[in-house]
Amino acid sequence: MIASKFEFRSPKDVEEAVRLYREFEGEAVYLSGGTDLVPRMKLGLEKPKVVIDLKRIASLTTVEDQGDWIRIGALARIFDLKQNDIVRGEFPALEASLEGTSCESLQMRGTIGGNLLQNSRCLFYNQSEFWRRSKGFCLKMGGESCNAVPGAKTCFANYCSDNATALCTLSAEIELSGPDGTRRVNLEGLYSNKAERPFEIQPGEILTAIFLPKMRSVGGYEKLRVRGAIDYPLLGVAFSFVDGTGKLAVGAVGPRPYVVEIKQPFRDTVGEAVETVLKQVKPVGNTVLDPDYRKQMIPVLAGRLVNKVMEGAK
Amino acid sequence: MDREYTIIGTRMTRTDSLAKVTGRASFTADLKLPRMLCAKVLRSPHPHAKILNIDTSKALRLPGVRAVVTAADAHGVKWGVFRYTQDHPMIAVDRVRYVGEDVAGVAAVDEETAMEALDLIQVDYEPLPAVFDPEEAMKEGAPLIHEEYPNNVNIHVHIEVGKVDEAFARAHLVREDTFHAPGEAYSTLEPYAVVASYANGYLDLWVPNAGPHVRAKALSNLLKMPLNKVRVRRINVGGHFGSRSEVSPGDLVTSLLAIKSGCPVKLVLTREENATCTRQVHDIKATIKTGVNKDGTITAKEFRVVYDGGAYSSTGPIATSIPYYVYEEAYRFPNVRYDGYRVITNKGIRGMYGCHGRAFLGGNEMQLDMIARELGMDPMEIRIKNGLKVGEETATKSVIISGGLEEPIRLAAAKANWAERRAGLKEGEGIGMGCVAVMCGFPMGFRSGSACYVKLNDDGQATIVTGICDTGMGNESMAIQIASEVLGIPVEDINLVNADTEATNLDPGAYSQAASFVGGNAVKRACEEAKRQILSFAAAKMNHPVEDLDLKDRTVVSKTDPLKKMPMRWIVREAFFQGKPIAATGAYMPKIDFQREWVKNPYGQMAGTYSFGCSVAQVTVDRETGQIRVPYFVAAHDCGNPINTMAVEGQMEGSVLQAGVAVLAEETRWSQGWLLNPDLLEYKVPLACDMPEIEPVIVRSNDPEGPFGAKEGGLTTRMNAYSAVVCAAHNALGVPLNEFPLTPDRVLKALNAAKSGGES
Repeated sequence: MIASKFEFRSPKDVEEAVRLYREFEGEAVYLSGGTDLVPRMKLGLEKPKVVIDLKRIASLTTVEDQGDWIRIGALARIFDLKQNDIVRGEFPALEASLEGTSCESLQMRGTIGGNLLQNSRCLFYNQSEFWRRSKGFCLKMGGESCNAVPGAKTCFANYCSDNATALCTLSAEIELSGPDGTRRVNLEGLYSNKAERPFEIQPGEILTAIFLPKMRSVGGYEKLRVRGAIDYPLLGVAFSFVDGTGKLAVGAVGPRPYVVEIKQPFRDTVGEAVETVLKQVKPVGNTVLDPDYRKQMIPVLAGRLVNKVMEGAK
Repeated sequence: MDREYTIIGTRMTRTDSLAKVTGRASFTADLKLPRMLCAKVLRSPHPHAKILNIDTSKALRLPGVRAVVTAADAHGVKWGVFRYTQDHPMIAVDRVRYVGEDVAGVAAVDEETAMEALDLIQVDYEPLPAVFDPEEAMKEGAPLIHEEYPNNVNIHVHIEVGKVDEAFARAHLVREDTFHAPGEAYSTLEPYAVVASYANGYLDLWVPNAGPHVRAKALSNLLKMPLNKVRVRRINVGGHFGSRSEVSPGDLVTSLLAIKSGCPVKLVLTREENATCTRQVHDIKATIKTGVNKDGTITAKEFRVVYDGGAYSSTGPIATSIPYYVYEEAYRFPNVRYDGYRVITNKGIRGMYGCHGRAFLGGNEMQLDMIARELGMDPMEIRIKNGLKVGEETATKSVIISGGLEEPIRLAAAKANWAERRAGLKEGEGIGMGCVAVMCGFPMGFRSGSACYVKLNDDGQATIVTGICDTGMGNESMAIQIASEVLGIPVEDINLVNADTEATNLDPGAYSQAASFVGGNAVKRACEEAKRQILSFAAAKMNHPVEDLDLKDRTVVSKTDPLKKMPMRWIVREAFFQGKPIAATGAYMPKIDFQREWVKNPYGQMAGTYSFGCSVAQVTVDRETGQIRVPYFVAAHDCGNPINTMAVEGQMEGSVLQAGVAVLAEETRWSQGWLLNPDLLEYKVPLACDMPEIEPVIVRSNDPEGPFGAKEGGLTTRMNAYSAVVCAAHNALGVPLNEFPLTPDRVLKALNAAKSGGES
């Protein structure tokens, strides 16, 4: 049950959606597929007065070939996108991450934009209001310190988008439309590096599209999880090789994907790239597998993935 | 070949299946009664605290609130399965002992109002020091959670048979290992829910339960109401696995709210409440010592097992014993010492589980493989050598009347091509075998037996009335199938009235694996008596010798003369004419030693019979990531004789998921007294995509006591599938795996420990 009552609005275009947001500033949220928002509302992590549904805005759902760029509407469904010919032909890392997202029935509901803007997760945070109140609020809920690492003044929640990790290896850009107009930034520029508020996004801004440079890539995505489906990644590693350059991204072990460029021959450079990532990540015991193990798996999955992709490219 | 039976042993679609798969079956949470109120429970936010004061006045003043109850409204009766374990007040009186414990209940016109009212109840707590680890809790100076349990030891089961120390001294090889498995959460599809309605002095209850009579008795005690005034009604139950065996605090809270408000009241628990506030599965640490002869014969066993019991006794003595019993029921232990300690901690209450004792069973079987390896024996050979046979006694003196361990082992091995498969394993592959035997029923005093009524209706159809309860495994269909076989009428001619305490007679319920063996026997006997009556009327009416008559296809037929027959309904009507309608009673009481007691006297016949089983699993292990997959599984289960072959196979397949795949993933995770994964996202119930190819093998031992030779239908797989995978993983890796479940991080840790000087 969703404990707080809310109004439901279904604007027909982005301008109307932004106008509604401004009308209810501070009390409104945007709804895309709802696979992140609805569970959060059920747990009382979000208590909006107004839910602005973006699903009726047709322009947000299309995939377009714009010549130098492929434009993916932010409300394209994961399930549709993984079957899109352009995605399958040009961006295998993205295709693999879409395939690895949750399970097919949720892929049919979830959208690529919603997947990118999913909130960061932690076993001490994604809990009911009763649970959180009885345990005491953590940093991400406005408390004094972290509950996963008692006493810590840093939030260690994990950003668990499978697709963001893959998109980072494809040099994706995103388009945001809000009260102050429209802007286009690198996907990596979306992240604040602060797990309690993971996105650099202005109030009222809507993620409208994702742009990928139209260059054929080879690539892949490896996901660590306990079960064969549904689970969020405990670690996600993506790799794409475009025009002589490789990009490796590591996700779900911090507030953002960690991205490193690697040069050929990869046999010599992957280790170094992984070292760069290992220096930045600090997994803690806030999800279901041992944090040291998750860190240990970064070089294992990265090494395997790069080998597999390059073998396949021969 | 002529079939021995008409419908017994067929692959019949269960009588309940259609309603369930089409969503038409109603469960407790679906029920709607006029004027029904919604209940919510206020729960303890502390793992351990004194309650100084509870003020409900503000909540009562909230418009829409119809009743608020606290311990002051209860009758001061504590719950415990046994007299000596009555320690749980069900609604906290002056102390809370776990996060989520029931403190007060509210009934209001809707859910929102009820939740708002909870916030208005003011409870003043004084937090107390808490303890979460059972071994810490046993130490001197640990916070004492109940005054009556020194060192927080709730139950100590001690079993001693033979001369254990001498046998160890003489043994050719002795091994000692410790295994640990964390607790688990029941993952029934149905949320726990209660509907209570009170009128004219009678309390009617609909609640997912595994035995309506036992539930009604517990509630009549807690409510201080006469037993006949508490009526537990039949309702579909969406899963059980042990979690619905006992009365739950929600039953009492909802009943009190219905009595106080004068309106029907419904309580539906959230998934979080299901996981934290009904029952959980024990965390178990088992130290196992085994001595063997040169030829692999087990000569001595010693066990020290610590069970984390959570805050109250629940089924304490039973839970502290079952893992050992299902093991001694499989293997011959001439000398054995078992010490099981159930320890109270400030966590949710732990109860029975369909696959209770995973660390114990998996540990024993893996250790047996380690011993076999040292002796140069095949794991199959050492199991057959030590397996109990018909006519033998278990260590604690239960006689085995059918089955025995050898046949399930041989049939499982044959199906799996054990020797070839083992010889052909590639790097990273392993194969393992797990065995167990399970009691069909256990001592529950006069409630150990079942009684059934049957009446023949004037259209020749039958109504059978039995206490048999179906929590999802197909017991209702089983009862109907037995009646159909005996009465010679199709299943659609049989009406079932069951699991309703007013209409039905006693039955032990859908736990302790008694339903088919005990309840099914009572149905069979009642129908046989009805058949005797029908044939006796028919003999007179048809002027034909009774011994040559039988019932088939709604007809009384001659066994020798195909032309001699008469519709059964004619006979039934004749009986009505004569003022002697066909109506019969049948009862069955298993041959159990009722002097046996879980703690004081753990010796004597435990159950009427035992089922035996062997699982074989093949695994692949990724040595770099520690990830295990189970591609292939054989489950052989001796169910005596299957009543419904498809239903038995279904139970076995479900059991492979619940144990053989859960061994890779399922565990509860804690931060002190807070359960970190009360949901079904982070509590990892295996998914369809994780399932292996399964080959179920039904073993027929034709039990001399069971109805049509039947015993229970599938529990051995639920108990040994875990062990089979554990043994297969050990076979693949060659290192001890002492920490379960076998998540990749644990597997890698075990590999690294072995690399850095540990044994292999």
